[in-house]
Amino acid sequence: MPEVTARGVRFHVQTMDPVGHAPAADLRDGAGPGRRAAQGPPVVVFVHGLVIDNLSSFYYTLAGPVAAAGARSVLYDLRGHGRTERPSAGYGAAEAVRDLFAVLDALGHRGPVHLVANSWGGVVALNAALARPSRVAGLVLIEAYGPSERPGAWIEDLLNTLGRSALLLEHERVAERYRALGWRRGARMAATADALINGTSLLDDLAVAEPVGPAALASVACPVLAVYGQHSDVMDAGRLLLRTVPGCTLHVMAGYAHTVLREGTAELLEVLLPWLAHHAGTRVPVAGGAR
Amino acid sequence: MSDVMAEVVLMLTEVVGEDFLLDVEVGPATTFGDDLALESIEFVALVDRLRGHYGDRVDFPRFIAALDLDQIMNLTVGDVVGHIESAIREEAHA
Repeated sequence: MPEVTARGVRFHVQTMDPVGHAPAADLRDGAGPGRRAAQGPPVVVFVHGLVIDNLSSFYYTLAGPVAAAGARSVLYDLRGHGRTERPSAGYGAAEAVRDLFAVLDALGHRGPVHLVANSWGGVVALNAALARPSRVAGLVLIEAYGPSERPGAWIEDLLNTLGRSALLLEHERVAERYRALGWRRGARMAATADALINGTSLLDDLAVAEPVGPAALASVACPVLAVYGQHSDVMDAGRLLLRTVPGCTLHVMAGYAHTVLREGTAELLEVLLPWLAHHAGTRVPVAGGAR
Repeated sequence: MSDVMAEVVLMLTEVVGEDFLLDVEVGPATTFGDDLALESIEFVALVDRLRGHYGDRVDFPRFIAALDLDQIMNLTVGDVVGHIESAIREEAHA
């Protein structure tokens, strides 16, 4: 299994090599640090969501087509998730940002990269762009948490859901019951969720996490593509991004809720690939080429 | 069992653990989703081992890119073995 050790944690990483090479002359973005990445193909890093999510949600959806368009797709499992090691602490946004850059350092990607993030991954990506603007050339935020004008209440629903799951997993012994029924996949997912929610500082770290407010959002220097489902619970974050981030484009996917990555992959690619072509210098997809 | 089939089953065992596979008779018609209950991240790990073993002789990225997650989970062990065998045959004739 490909892995790198960063900040003392073994991270599972996957890289998809670019198909062909985007010539430097194709880099049309004159505004962001992306234009400095004229040597070599652009690097696009995927940041997944919480608990039962892992890099596979990008591996089977966006990462392949992005590599096919000429970028190097880099995927990693966040600490405690997927096949990455699960330390007992360090699950806050600031730690996740340090993890991200440490993983990129370990892989030798020290230049500016584009970050594509889903759900909680958006908190990580947005904070990464604010913490190290010279290393983030662009952000694609899919159903992203993070932007909010309401500190203290911005992830209330998420924390309530995770809190209920914590009780259920611990007291109802969900993993054991699934295992007894022969439901291997359910049992493994429940065991992973139980170990992460009840066995680490994840919930405590999330409870003290701060949102990114309007003033900080106004200082985001790189271009941002925000994609939200029409019926999403997090839609306010998308509207706030559009209102405050200078270089933000908002795409609302009609008929979808929070699961646009899995359920709306084709439409997502139709928006993402031309945006990356413009800002990262990947190839413009041929019409009908995205699935 | 063909050589490729035996190699794929060995790599599957490494990914999901021998205890589980002992309960399941793996054959060409065995599906990764319903029969083996593979998690999507485990299929990533399996593809990784396949790429390590067969290298550039088999184009797994293109094979995977043509399918969505549901189609991947509906794949049978025989589908993957067949893909590998035909890629190796084509290489031998090239």
